[in-house]
Amino acid sequence: MMSKGKKFFQYAFLTIVSLLSVFPLYYMFCGATNKSTDVVAGRLYPGGYLVENFKSLIANQDLARALFNSFRNAIVLTFLALLICSIAGYGFEIYHDKGKDIVMTILLMAMMIPFAAIMIPLFRMFSTMKLTNTMTAVMLPSLSTPFLIMMFRQSARSFPHDMIEAARMDGLSEIGIFFRMFIPTMKSTYAAAMTITFMNAWNNYLWPKVILKTNESITMPMLVANLLGGYSVDYGMLMLGVFICTVPTAIVFFCLQKSFAEGITGSVK
Amino acid sequence: MKGSGKKLSLERRHNLTGWVFLIPATALIAWMSFYPMIQAFILSLQTGLGINLKFGGLTNYTRILQDATFRQCLFNTIFYLIIQVPVMLILALILASMLNNKHLRFKGLFRTMIFLPCATSLVSYSMIFRSMFANDGLVNTLLRGIGMEPVMWFANAWTARAVIIIALIWRWTGYNMVFYLAGLQNIEYSVYEAAKIDGASPRQSFFKITVPLLKPTILLTAIMSTNGTLQLFDESMNLTNGGPGQATMTLSHYIYNMSFVQSPNFGYSAAMSIIVLIMVAVLAVIQMKVGDER
Amino acid sequence: MKRKVIALLLASTMVLSMTACGGSGGDSGSSSGSTASSEGGGSGDNTLTVWTWDPNFNVYAIEKAAEIYAQDHEGFKVEVTEVLSDDIETNLTTAASAGDYSTLPDIFLMQDNSFQKYVANYPDIFTDLTDSGVDFSQFAEAKVAYSVVDGKNYGVPFDNGAVIAAYRTDYLEQAGFTIDDFTDITWSDFMEKAKVVKEKTGQPILTSQAGSPDLIMEMLQSCGASLFNEDGSVNIVGNDALKECMEIYVQMVEDGTLVEVTDWDQYVASLNNGTVASSINGCWIMASITAQEDQSGKWAITNMPRLERQENATNYSNNGGSSWAISSNCDNPELAMDFLNATFAGSTELYDDLLTAGTGAIATWSPAKESDVYAEPSEFFGGDAVNSKILGFSEQTPSNVTGPFYYDARNAVGTALSAITQQGADMDSEIEKAQDTVEFNMGG
Repeated sequence: MMSKGKKFFQYAFLTIVSLLSVFPLYYMFCGATNKSTDVVAGRLYPGGYLVENFKSLIANQDLARALFNSFRNAIVLTFLALLICSIAGYGFEIYHDKGKDIVMTILLMAMMIPFAAIMIPLFRMFSTMKLTNTMTAVMLPSLSTPFLIMMFRQSARSFPHDMIEAARMDGLSEIGIFFRMFIPTMKSTYAAAMTITFMNAWNNYLWPKVILKTNESITMPMLVANLLGGYSVDYGMLMLGVFICTVPTAIVFFCLQKSFAEGITGSVK
Repeated sequence: MKGSGKKLSLERRHNLTGWVFLIPATALIAWMSFYPMIQAFILSLQTGLGINLKFGGLTNYTRILQDATFRQCLFNTIFYLIIQVPVMLILALILASMLNNKHLRFKGLFRTMIFLPCATSLVSYSMIFRSMFANDGLVNTLLRGIGMEPVMWFANAWTARAVIIIALIWRWTGYNMVFYLAGLQNIEYSVYEAAKIDGASPRQSFFKITVPLLKPTILLTAIMSTNGTLQLFDESMNLTNGGPGQATMTLSHYIYNMSFVQSPNFGYSAAMSIIVLIMVAVLAVIQMKVGDER
Repeated sequence: MKRKVIALLLASTMVLSMTACGGSGGDSGSSSGSTASSEGGGSGDNTLTVWTWDPNFNVYAIEKAAEIYAQDHEGFKVEVTEVLSDDIETNLTTAASAGDYSTLPDIFLMQDNSFQKYVANYPDIFTDLTDSGVDFSQFAEAKVAYSVVDGKNYGVPFDNGAVIAAYRTDYLEQAGFTIDDFTDITWSDFMEKAKVVKEKTGQPILTSQAGSPDLIMEMLQSCGASLFNEDGSVNIVGNDALKECMEIYVQMVEDGTLVEVTDWDQYVASLNNGTVASSINGCWIMASITAQEDQSGKWAITNMPRLERQENATNYSNNGGSSWAISSNCDNPELAMDFLNATFAGSTELYDDLLTAGTGAIATWSPAKESDVYAEPSEFFGGDAVNSKILGFSEQTPSNVTGPFYYDARNAVGTALSAITQQGADMDSEIEKAQDTVEFNMGG
């Protein structure tokens, strides 16, 4: 067992790090409940202006639609991306050979070019396909990412090969092994990947803004950006918008964190 | 076994299955990334402003060599990389192994709080960092409180860079911790218990068990963070706006300015992007060589 | 476990088919007819699509204009998409580079400082408005000049960016001054009085966002000077006006009468918290000042100080503001022109409403000044009729060359300025560096 002093140190350290981490969220929350001029003045305790801020936010922006769009985009994208990338990562690792390793290295290059450089060619592609203003155009570029593939490839490394052999003996097909053995075993990786992908999809701004041109397709990051656009910024309203934009990711994380940090459950026994 | 024809065909079949598994993802990346990338390369061989482009060969690449701003941004970017990536990854690893302790209480709460920074919207995060490090901000108030001279954080090149590095570590440590936490689950907890029984100190089991077994994940995060830092944009743009002068500006920020703020020079921007690509690729290959032994 | 996997598979196929439908049919959430018109650039005969930003300002303005226009043009409508000015510019760049103008709206609002850059680089985006029937002589001359390239008009001026000097009269009083002591003065006079204010109140007279050349650019324009020559070549080294501006700025920083703050939020905070005695900025800063309601009556507005060494020095300048442009994707440019002409270039009713509705949008269209609404005194600014005053400022503002490389030069000057004030670099060598940077960018 750990000594008392060490234990104390550990809790103290974690508490300090946690408080530092959570401070901006607290700041956001205070901002959301205060008047614009008080936010600017740096008031660091909650005020009573939340309802007013909320009223001006919904009068100013289509909050419901932005939330709906953001959720829809993020959920659909996360689901598809996880499916496509995990099966590829699995394929790269479990059936690895020289050829596939080379392909993997080449794929990695895809994430190394700044997005600003490929944005215009990408836009040209979608405009010739007449796909501007569609969900398809928003999602296609981020459905398959080298990062997710590599994440699944790296974690497939610890997937025991004898399990695969045993399953094959039992007559399970290759795709069956993936769905029935790999996915349940790798729950922690899926949960982590889901959090990250959801977060990235939720926060994506530049590309959706370039490809979508209607008010109806507004997402939460666009809504926040709109709040910043004017000559004078209502900081209370802005902080409320920002707060609402942050909370879903935090909730998703909180719900999923148990499954990716609480050990392998059930299936591998 | 070597000579068995049946085994061979089975292996070939598995090999083919593998290819089938990775075709959708690979095809998508080829279509959505490599094709535009090739176009970006072609663009990098053209010179001119706006849409008045003409073929210029390697002109843009030789131009980079004479660009003082590019050199400054390259220096800044590499400086961030060297300091920030190791510090952040080590901190994330320590936090992850602390939170992997079965006997720790409030784990879920700690984990969520430490993760929160990367979910925090860029707008509020940059606002608060700017105000915290403002001349009469919280940090200087604290410094005065302990009897030290206040620092004009954003006015000096090195302190401004320090703020960027602090901000980066603050924002991304929890993110990397997530991967380590997920990776740690693949290590049977009994390994640790056994090590403890054998008299291993926590430090020993960290270096002898955690680090080696997490190697694939560490490689992943190292490549990711290298890539992320070399393409760093948000902090440079929103925290310091590249200032003072261009002392904190990153390459991506410069590339963005060249395309969308100043008179647009896409050929030159594309050429600089290709240079960034090559740099990341070289570093990634080195990291894979070092860390990807099976 | 098995059941879970099947559920997963089922769900995935469902989602796949869902998105497949969504993909072919366009964004299903927006099939309410609006997509059709915005994609086709106004396929509806009587509907125009518009990109602009800020619901309380520009969006309100164009919608109000449409309402007024619809009074005698039945069925006329605008469909506004809220797009930030940066994003409008990114979208224009992307569309033009991809050679696909079909995504552009009929009308869009553009920052005045960006106009030259976009017309020069992407002339095909714009519709020439020279013969649109708009009487450009009724607008402030300097304002119109932003959107004129090679003698052709590409924009209908909208909001005013005339520079105002807003002072805290209570601070001035403490220092023994009135607002009149700060009206029609020179910078050296201003700097001396600033020292007194600093001594008596402890507050600096100005704050400025570190590294931002806003103030320098305002000073430059106040004497009609620019960072470019008429022929478009860079005019940074040996530009005496620029040097005078930089010297004033650096001297004030040394005096402690100008305090540099880290960012825009801090700048606004200094105004609202009363840690500064004045603000010299585009008139749109009033919206941020008046947000602090309990300072009502403590502010007054006058013109900015003028330079001394320059021949054409005035007390008037400009910072910000924007103009409406009609895109080449517009199917019915006649309608768009007539709409803009009848409203932003012809309706006092519109401009009056913009003021009474509290948008803070002040016209640059001179006839608007005649209306009673513009003559109404503002309680917040000590009972002064600030709106007609500001419109008057804009008429006296000298025009200067912006040119397609405006932002390149502006950034370079900002870099030089912060190197000098923050790191103590030598002014002449920094000015030289700035010139080199801009010439390097132009050489691309």
